[in-house]
Amino acid sequence: MSMSTTPLTPEIVSHEGNAMVLSMGPQHPSTHGVLQIMLEIEGETILKAEPEIGYLHTGIEKTAENLFWSQAQTVIERMDYLAPSSNAYCYCLAVEQLLGLTDRIPERARQIRVLQAELTRVASHCVWLGTHGIDLGALSAFFYCFDMREKILDLQEATGGARMHPNYLRVGGVQADLPSGFMEQLDALLEMFPGRMRDLRGLLQSNPILQDRLVDVGIMTQEEAQDWSITGPGLRATGIAYDVRRAFPYGGYENYDFDIPTRTEGDSYARFLVRLDEMEQSMRIVRQVRDTLKPGPYAVDDTKVMPPPKETIALSMEALIHHFKIMTEGFRVPPGDVYQAVEGPRGELGYYVVSDGGNRPYRVRTRPPSMYNLQALKGLAPGNLIADLVVIIGSLDPVFGEVDR
Amino acid sequence: MPSTQTPPLTGTAIDPPALRPPIDDAAIERIAPANVHARLAELKREGFTLLLDVGAVDYPQRTPRFDIVYHLLNLRKTKRVRLLCGVTGTAPKLPTATDLWKSADWAEREIYDLFGISFEGHPDLRRIQMPNDWEGHPLRKDYPLRGPARERSPRPAFALKSNVQAGTPPSGRTLEALQQQIAKIRGEDRSK
Repeated sequence: MSMSTTPLTPEIVSHEGNAMVLSMGPQHPSTHGVLQIMLEIEGETILKAEPEIGYLHTGIEKTAENLFWSQAQTVIERMDYLAPSSNAYCYCLAVEQLLGLTDRIPERARQIRVLQAELTRVASHCVWLGTHGIDLGALSAFFYCFDMREKILDLQEATGGARMHPNYLRVGGVQADLPSGFMEQLDALLEMFPGRMRDLRGLLQSNPILQDRLVDVGIMTQEEAQDWSITGPGLRATGIAYDVRRAFPYGGYENYDFDIPTRTEGDSYARFLVRLDEMEQSMRIVRQVRDTLKPGPYAVDDTKVMPPPKETIALSMEALIHHFKIMTEGFRVPPGDVYQAVEGPRGELGYYVVSDGGNRPYRVRTRPPSMYNLQALKGLAPGNLIADLVVIIGSLDPVFGEVDR
Repeated sequence: MPSTQTPPLTGTAIDPPALRPPIDDAAIERIAPANVHARLAELKREGFTLLLDVGAVDYPQRTPRFDIVYHLLNLRKTKRVRLLCGVTGTAPKLPTATDLWKSADWAEREIYDLFGISFEGHPDLRRIQMPNDWEGHPLRKDYPLRGPARERSPRPAFALKSNVQAGTPPSGRTLEALQQQIAKIRGEDRSK
């Protein structure tokens, strides 16, 4: 293999010996977003792949530093736009640690958050499964997936008012109680889910064409996965059962029964199966939350952090003052730094939050699982065909809002 | 009468990590730049095989100015370690961790890009998020939120305020003329 040591030029095509440099993306349907990959190829075989990111850089971390603690959450939700509630969840947990509120969150709020986090994981995996299928030419699975995702987005809309970025979670709980009719909608989803998963597994899992495309493509060993800091389904597909929900339980996950699906092959098909199993485990948690949901307050009883209920404002002077103070100048967070991680749909989603005692975050550093997973492309792609590169990107499931932030 | 609304409150802590409340999120170590690579290698041998993240924080009022934050994970013992490494403000640099973990590559490039901290021995240290010809390092605290003031390119003629106010697009076609033309095409006579 003639590996070039010179930096890859941004030219679309250039020749060097037998190898050719080809720019794939940033406008390419199978790169799942604005990803450019500078490929050095010999025939159809990839010698070197260098992903170029940053096309979707929106400076979210900088923006968050200039917003109130509660306002910052709205931009943070836009990082991983397929799983907004996971981002908000992690951020809220981190800020609550600094505020010392972690043990005071009411049980109902904790349960609703787990419900949201798991629903958003299923919705995110639905998008992954649908688009991954499309990459491989399996069109019908896409409609089944997006139909199911639509049901989850309806639930998100019912809670937060918006389909994509509900902004429903809050530091201290959730924004409002579950609306009437939510449980019926959730029950309909829970009833539909097993049959829909059966359909999807029937369409894809045992499909010989899909297996031909996925099996033994993009194999990652346990050592490689750790070297590239892979987390989430990618790591679990190599046989390491690391799940933040189990390793560092947060928000009441220790109260629910669920398995951590693992495979040992480490190829794209293993990642595919792990994600399918994960969807079922997530719905298992959702069902448990639904069955054990306790009545009670949905947010912490601390008017310094959570604005008092709207209906009390007209009746109580203090409520009005607290509401006004929180809306106009936010709340202050004691100085300190904290690292909080949750298991996002793509792996360990972490927030390193620093407060200097003010009403705005001093620094919000995300540990973006997508970025680290995508980076492994440099190690996975060489030796594969260009067609297989599409499969590998799909099986890494990057979201570019999070890669570029 | 002065406004009774208080101005936005800003924090006063110069070194927030030193004031952190007792939170059990990770074992925290402060380390000098000269020892950071050796310590990372040692931790890797001890079983902290996953470099979860490398981040940076800018504390302009403090010496050393920057904190580079390494988050490490031990999968067997499910333990976290956080290394905080203070780096000075003038020509900040650190040894790279890419020889220990390949995943440090993009994380260090991002810190180089957004904070202007160099990593010695990095194989491909160039900007990653911002365009290659960008000036300045946006996540530094002295970098303005909307970017540095610079000369704006002239606005296109149709967007000039004078044209909008006059109601005459530079093409000379007024809204009225346009409406008449449309009416003519439709076969209506609007002049009546």
